[in-house]
Amino acid sequence: MSLTILTAYDERPDDTGDLVYRAGGTDLQERLRTTGATPHVLDLTGVPGFAAVERTDGGTRLGAGVTVATVARDLAADYPALALTAAGLATPQVRAAATIGGNLLQRTRCWYFRHPHTSCFKSGGVGCPARDGRHLYGVAFDTAPCVHPHPSSLAMALLTYAATVDTTQRDGLGVGDVLGDGSDPSRDHLLADDEVLTRVTLPPPAPGERAAYFRSISRFEAEWPLVEAVVRVVRDDAGTVTSCGVAIGGVAPVPLRLSAVEELLTGSTLDDDVLAEAAHLATEGASPLPETGYKVQLVEATVLEVLERVRS
Amino acid sequence: MAHRLVETQPQEALMELTTTVNDEARVLDVDGTESAVDVVRDGLGLTGTKLVCGSGVCGACTMLVDGEPVLGCLTPATRLRDASVTTVEGLADGDDLHPVQRAFAHHDGLQCGYCTPGFVVDAVAFHDRWRAEHGADEPDGPSRVVIAEALAGHLCRCGSYEGIYRAVAAACRGEHDGGVGDVERVDAPAKVTGAAVYTTDVVLPGMLHAAIRRSDVAAGTVGPIRFPDGVVGLDVLGDDRRVRWAGQPIAVVAAETLAEARRFARELVVPVTAHDFVLDPEVAVRPGAPLVYPTRGERKAAPSAGEGESMPAPWDGNRHGPSRSPFLGTLAKRRVGAARAAGRRGLVELEFHTAAQLHTAFEPHACVADWTDPQHLRVWLSTQGVDLMRHAIADRFDLDPAQVEVVAEHVGGGFGAKLSLTTEATSAIALSRLARRPVRLVFDRHEELTGTGNRPGSRSRVSMLVDDDTQAVKALVVDTDSHAGVAIGNSVAALSMLLYERTPRLARDVDVVTNAPPGAPFRGPGGPTSAWSLEQTVDEVAHRFGRDPIGLRAQWDGNQKRQALYRWASALPTWERRPATGSQSGRFRRGVGVAAGNWIYLVDPDCEVVVSVQAGHLVASTAAQDMGTGSRTVVARAVADVFDVDPTHVEVRLGRSHGGTAHGPASGGSRTTVSLWSTAVEAATSLRDRVGTDLGRAPDGASATAKRGGDRGLRAVPMTMNGIQIGRGFSAALHVTEVEVDTRTGKTRVLRVHGGIAVGRIHAPVLARSQCEGSIIQGIGLALYENQVLDPHTGLTLTANLEDYRIPQLGDTPEIDIHFHEEGWDRVPGGGVGLGEVATVSPAASVGNAIFNATGWRPLTLPVRPDRLLEGLRTEVTR
Repeated sequence: MSLTILTAYDERPDDTGDLVYRAGGTDLQERLRTTGATPHVLDLTGVPGFAAVERTDGGTRLGAGVTVATVARDLAADYPALALTAAGLATPQVRAAATIGGNLLQRTRCWYFRHPHTSCFKSGGVGCPARDGRHLYGVAFDTAPCVHPHPSSLAMALLTYAATVDTTQRDGLGVGDVLGDGSDPSRDHLLADDEVLTRVTLPPPAPGERAAYFRSISRFEAEWPLVEAVVRVVRDDAGTVTSCGVAIGGVAPVPLRLSAVEELLTGSTLDDDVLAEAAHLATEGASPLPETGYKVQLVEATVLEVLERVRS
Repeated sequence: MAHRLVETQPQEALMELTTTVNDEARVLDVDGTESAVDVVRDGLGLTGTKLVCGSGVCGACTMLVDGEPVLGCLTPATRLRDASVTTVEGLADGDDLHPVQRAFAHHDGLQCGYCTPGFVVDAVAFHDRWRAEHGADEPDGPSRVVIAEALAGHLCRCGSYEGIYRAVAAACRGEHDGGVGDVERVDAPAKVTGAAVYTTDVVLPGMLHAAIRRSDVAAGTVGPIRFPDGVVGLDVLGDDRRVRWAGQPIAVVAAETLAEARRFARELVVPVTAHDFVLDPEVAVRPGAPLVYPTRGERKAAPSAGEGESMPAPWDGNRHGPSRSPFLGTLAKRRVGAARAAGRRGLVELEFHTAAQLHTAFEPHACVADWTDPQHLRVWLSTQGVDLMRHAIADRFDLDPAQVEVVAEHVGGGFGAKLSLTTEATSAIALSRLARRPVRLVFDRHEELTGTGNRPGSRSRVSMLVDDDTQAVKALVVDTDSHAGVAIGNSVAALSMLLYERTPRLARDVDVVTNAPPGAPFRGPGGPTSAWSLEQTVDEVAHRFGRDPIGLRAQWDGNQKRQALYRWASALPTWERRPATGSQSGRFRRGVGVAAGNWIYLVDPDCEVVVSVQAGHLVASTAAQDMGTGSRTVVARAVADVFDVDPTHVEVRLGRSHGGTAHGPASGGSRTTVSLWSTAVEAATSLRDRVGTDLGRAPDGASATAKRGGDRGLRAVPMTMNGIQIGRGFSAALHVTEVEVDTRTGKTRVLRVHGGIAVGRIHAPVLARSQCEGSIIQGIGLALYENQVLDPHTGLTLTANLEDYRIPQLGDTPEIDIHFHEEGWDRVPGGGVGLGEVATVSPAASVGNAIFNATGWRPLTLPVRPDRLLEGLRTEVTR
């Protein structure tokens, strides 16, 4: 049997061959078609609680199989930064099928990795052909051997909430613990082969939170971001920022939470000059590749965009 | 050499599941890795659902699962368990179409029809949801933005987006609850219901599946290929054993299943000695660069990216050319040289670059060949020329053309890339002969985006000299290097010579060959590339001398039809409120640009149409084909006109080569309608004169045949080549385009396009408009998004999927206004000529000029991506 529909996360078939977990399938099915691979599929959709949203005093627990569309719709009031990000990615049909767990653990969208006739760190080979090749959509913070940015927009938003992730083997991981820092270029995440992401936990909603998300792309929508940014702020009655979270994606081996920007904004009233300074600060440490210099300017533009939007 | 098929391997254990499909209980055997589209299309034979991108980008495979739209290509087949599935075939209640289907047919929200099932299925879900939520509260229906967001998961390569907007909004307003209304496109009902059969839908008993093994090196010599015992395979390399581009077909194999064929192809041992190669055209012309065609014999076999034969031209290393189109060329050069030395203000010199644009027709190159009867070869082929291919196949396989039948009932787009006999056909045919079984060969999207052609990239240098006082043109020199990979035969600069003033001028076209995939003809070959440089140069002259860009063109242009378009455009409010260039300073800057288009007039004088009465109704047949441009509709309307009946009462049989009874034109070079219309009218008239209009009393089988013939005394050149005669006169176009540039993010939005088209009488106005709208959408793609990218170290095509190869989306569609100037072609039978090419020449250039008007920065390089725009604005500021 090439398929097992799991009823529990830790169920493992006796099959010792090539095993692959599947949730929404929006990443996996494309790769299976392109490569012609026929692994044994472990389908997670039958696991109890897979798509459950559970609200508790301690926060909100999202089953790994909660869809992006559900996040966009049901969390819009309590977690607007996450919900806006979810609503801004991919297409309606993909959002309806793709899951939060799958979004975090999807494989890179690099055009070398997705090409059936190339080999790279992430497809089991050595080296990054994009680094000396074409990397127009590559990183602008060149901090790891693989130069394509991590594709998870939701990871970026979850960083701003300091959300935690549970797996079959570990509880309370940060998003950063799951994705790592890109230093192992063969991996898109650091879960073990037999480790399954089971749950994402968000802290209790922050009353009065306002948020903005923006994706810089060339077309109307439905395009991987050149640069994306999200911001969430809570302001007091005087308009002073009491807490905030800012993160960017599409520019680094993993999404980046911008602590320095957050510090600058906290305590401010989001005046024009603060916003400009914050947007510029977002580019600090950028180290673009030959073809990604434009992304540095776009980071500043995109962060400024979300800051202006969240202020209005 | 005898080949035997390998025994099919025992199927892996499958999961059996029950599901309901279009209200019918079905049992499916699925394996763990299959997707829903595989079991629905291939397993259940519901071929209305199309597979295009395979990666969830285009939405063509959309079906409803428990009422919700899902992507057939990304949805695991196991998810269909105990579900209720509705495909496009299940939307209508018998002949009673869903209001959304009616609306798509009425508003012509389709052309080739290949993306249509996906759009329709998703639009049905949206329509039902929207009306439940809004109903009568919003009598105007959903806005364009709402529709664009709801259908953001769909792409249409023909660019039928305006019709789709109209259709969805009208359906939501309830306008089609009662009925469909007029439908101009006679095959629209078949296309909106999934009944239209394309080559990819053809399944024959006992059919084998074929797969191609392609080169993963950009240059090399391939040793002998040994096919494993029992594998049906063919070596498809030429005698020289050379591969010249990454992705070039080397061998092809057939097997019982596609998966097996792909595995055989993948595992085939191909001994390759890799050679040095060159991809960068600038490097290719340097001394010592690896030669793509080292010998004379190899050069002779170089493929052509142009339509028709290449002009003979000299070779120098990897340079082929120049082909020169001079008129007092030496004088032109001398005047430009003198003006340059004198620093004359009237001399504008600019250098332009364009990127290769991929056709990516949504129906891939596909062929099903059946040569089980040695005396008769039947070939289903996704082609732009069933009759052209019949002869090409007969030639290639040494058959009498009467023994070859080519079928293309419906064609899912071509755009020029399906005009020649290529690997999918030759391989399937040869394999069918070998295996004595029908063989199916269908390219996947990756293959389609790699090796089926492109509009070549280019570098053009334009020198235009005008009189300082009057701006009369004193000289024009255009040098274009075309970058068609291994292909030659480009004609770009030459097209610049045909528009403005009969002054000294010189065009030189050079092909710089590299080890990149070959270019191929693409709607208006050379036209948009030529306009990108010439029309921006003209704009620059106008800007430099403070002249109105339309007025300046009107001063120079001898084409009376375009003069009429200048008058029309000058009065457009969009043009009248055009800002002064560089006058804006805000973040969002709007600008308006204009560009002119020009095309030659081609006709197929051998075109024949047979009109007959069969069982009391009219049947028209010709060996033409309809790739979405509407030839079926044109023939129906012509015959219907004569008999004064509704076009739906005329059965049009085309898409079959008919064993040679009626030659039909190929769909290329804008020659289909101009060849078919008057011929169909003549045949119908002759039949009517004989049998009268009371068809019930006409003798059954009565028929009349007409042949188009040339336009007497009106040929530009006295010969016909490959069914093409060059007629006298040029068709004309003018595009006025408004853009909004976001100077913060570098994104350009096209807000509004007015397209003026002067091709004489329009025979099918709704379809003509659709095609002109589509050429604007494709022009926007060329201008802003589309860009073939190759890996510099291997030559592999990186933009081989529809995520990375970015074509315009519904939401990128501007408001489009199409204006037809119908006069000026009275001397042509039928009073009008073709529009497929001329409509496509100037849109991209008009976007470039609009960006200049908005920002004061002139984009010289295509596409104008955000990174280029941001850089351009930066340098503009520092200048």
